[in-house]
Amino acid sequence: MKLWIKMSAITAAVLLVSTGISGAAVIYHSARYNKEKTIENYEQQLNVAAYAVSRELEYEPFQNFSEATANAYYHYVIEKYDASMYILIEGEQVLCNLTPYELNNPGDDRWGGVEAYHMIQKLDNRYILVMGIRMPVAGSDEYKLVLVRDISKIYKDIRAQAFFYVRIYLAAVLMAVVLVFLMIKKALAPLRELQRAAQDISEGRLERRAKVHTSDEIGDMAAAFNGMAAQIENQVTELSLESERRRQMLGSLTHEMKTPMTSIMGYADSLLHVNLKKDQKESALQHIYTECGRLVRISSKLMSLIGMYDNDSICMEEVYVDDLFSAVAEMEENNLKKKNMTLSYSCHMDKKIMDKDLMISLLTNIVDNAVKASKTGSDIIMEAKEDRITVRDFGCGIPEDEIPRVTEAFYMVDKARSRKAGGCGLGLALCGKIAELHGAELEITSKEGEGTEVSVIWGNV
Amino acid sequence: MRILVIEDDTAISELICMNLQAAGYETEAIFDGDAAEAALKNEESGSAALALVDVMLPGKDGFELMEDLQRAQIPVIYLTAKDDVISKVHGLKAGAEDYIVKPFEVLELLVRIEKVLKRTGRGREKIVIRDVVIDLKEHSVLKNGEKVNLKPMEYELLVTLAQSKNVAFSREELLGRLWGVDYVGETRTVDVHIGQLRKKLDFHDVIRTISKHGYRLEDMEYEAMD
Repeated sequence: MKLWIKMSAITAAVLLVSTGISGAAVIYHSARYNKEKTIENYEQQLNVAAYAVSRELEYEPFQNFSEATANAYYHYVIEKYDASMYILIEGEQVLCNLTPYELNNPGDDRWGGVEAYHMIQKLDNRYILVMGIRMPVAGSDEYKLVLVRDISKIYKDIRAQAFFYVRIYLAAVLMAVVLVFLMIKKALAPLRELQRAAQDISEGRLERRAKVHTSDEIGDMAAAFNGMAAQIENQVTELSLESERRRQMLGSLTHEMKTPMTSIMGYADSLLHVNLKKDQKESALQHIYTECGRLVRISSKLMSLIGMYDNDSICMEEVYVDDLFSAVAEMEENNLKKKNMTLSYSCHMDKKIMDKDLMISLLTNIVDNAVKASKTGSDIIMEAKEDRITVRDFGCGIPEDEIPRVTEAFYMVDKARSRKAGGCGLGLALCGKIAELHGAELEITSKEGEGTEVSVIWGNV
Repeated sequence: MRILVIEDDTAISELICMNLQAAGYETEAIFDGDAAEAALKNEESGSAALALVDVMLPGKDGFELMEDLQRAQIPVIYLTAKDDVISKVHGLKAGAEDYIVKPFEVLELLVRIEKVLKRTGRGREKIVIRDVVIDLKEHSVLKNGEKVNLKPMEYELLVTLAQSKNVAFSREELLGRLWGVDYVGETRTVDVHIGQLRKKLDFHDVIRTISKHGYRLEDMEYEAMD
């Protein structure tokens, strides 16, 4: 069941029951009060009449009267006090009854109490009050006076009152229910918007937000919902970007592998099926060997790159930067000697938390690049100070518009030359990844023809 | 017959040149797009019969070179590692005659080149192997100036072998190519025809049997050939 139906129904039911009960109680009490008041009135009247009639009866020595005279006298007395209301009784005998009713049990003791006794009898559709009392006649306690009165009007009034109340009651309840219904409907309207927003988002429209600006709980919920949606959108965008990057990397990888594979397959095919000259055969074998080497380099670089995506065996420890530099210099010694180059380094950094092997790999990669870019005999400077390690060369530099792309996997500024120098376009991608693992980033500044400066900066991460 | 090989990877470039030379073509290797554009302006390169073009080139890429090549009226076969349909369609729509995806087989490359040359009316008119001249126009074979009578299938077999000379064909390949797929399996047919060719042309040492594979028409004088 819908929430608004539920709430409206509950409210209506509670209203109906509570106002119904209280209304009925009020009516019941006022009815009883009316009745009691009326009865009390008649009781007083009866008391007064009984007293007065008693005096009359005492006054006359009507024992001496003949029966007819006595009867006439009774009539006279009763008529004096509203004849239509009273029945005069002595013992069990009705002395005078001028009412339109017949009393069935004139001898009943109840009519002869000192205090007035009353009962209400239903005759046809009328309610008759019958009330009796012993008359305080001196010398005799056989006289009783009974009051008979039609009090149907009280009941009619009560009924009219109840009916009137029920009408008001129903109208009020109806109004209340309608009001509650409208209020709930209005209060819940933002929930519909929220639901639509959620549905839209689940159907992939991630930029959708709930347009709810109320300051109530639903407004708070909508704000939280929108926050969640924004977070999800961010993460999904991030994820798709990441998967796009990986897809591109895989694409580049297959392309990059295809070139050496084409050579290897082609030369092998030629050696098998083509009538080659001796020097051509040698050249073919040489190519196969070289291209296999290229595949090995790509796969090993790639292994370390992939390893770093998943590897949690990275060992972070405090390393003396000076030690790091001498290790790099040692590893690059042969490489540098070939081009008659020198690597000088200055260290103004004490210790740093890092994975030494990865950092060596990063620096040797950068120095390798520097060596490839430099002319024979030039210098490379490695420096550590403040929050950065910098490798500077004076080689050919990188064209400005290519700088943002050089850290992409398989990106090479000059493919032909880079391959000749044994590159496969993964080095800087690897460096970028290592820097990232250290909470650092790679900054490359370069001027074509003047040289390149690559810095690892421990930043504000 | 000169073929331009526009390919930036030296190993692949050399591979292609090596095989084209073995099959009797003259080759010119160009390693980047800009150099190709420049080369097309000179007479010698501009009159090449065909260009094998790598799509991903430094400088002007393969698709961009199409205009220059068409201006020089050189048919183009793209040679690329990209094997997605869009690139293929793009290349062929731009006016390429064919599209070969790396890695490729030497024989496939040669056959496709031959097909494109034939289609564009640049096919070789004569193939000379030692003292034998195959006249592809006249469908005749001369040995020492004298006509040799060959049955049609013998002639087709000789032409197939000679057009990709120095490259080995398997028996299945020859069967499929010359007799059609229905004959696949009956490799004896090939052996019989080879025997006939050897006898009629005295090619016992020219058509060599490659063990476990097939046959190869060998002619090491290709460097001197035109």
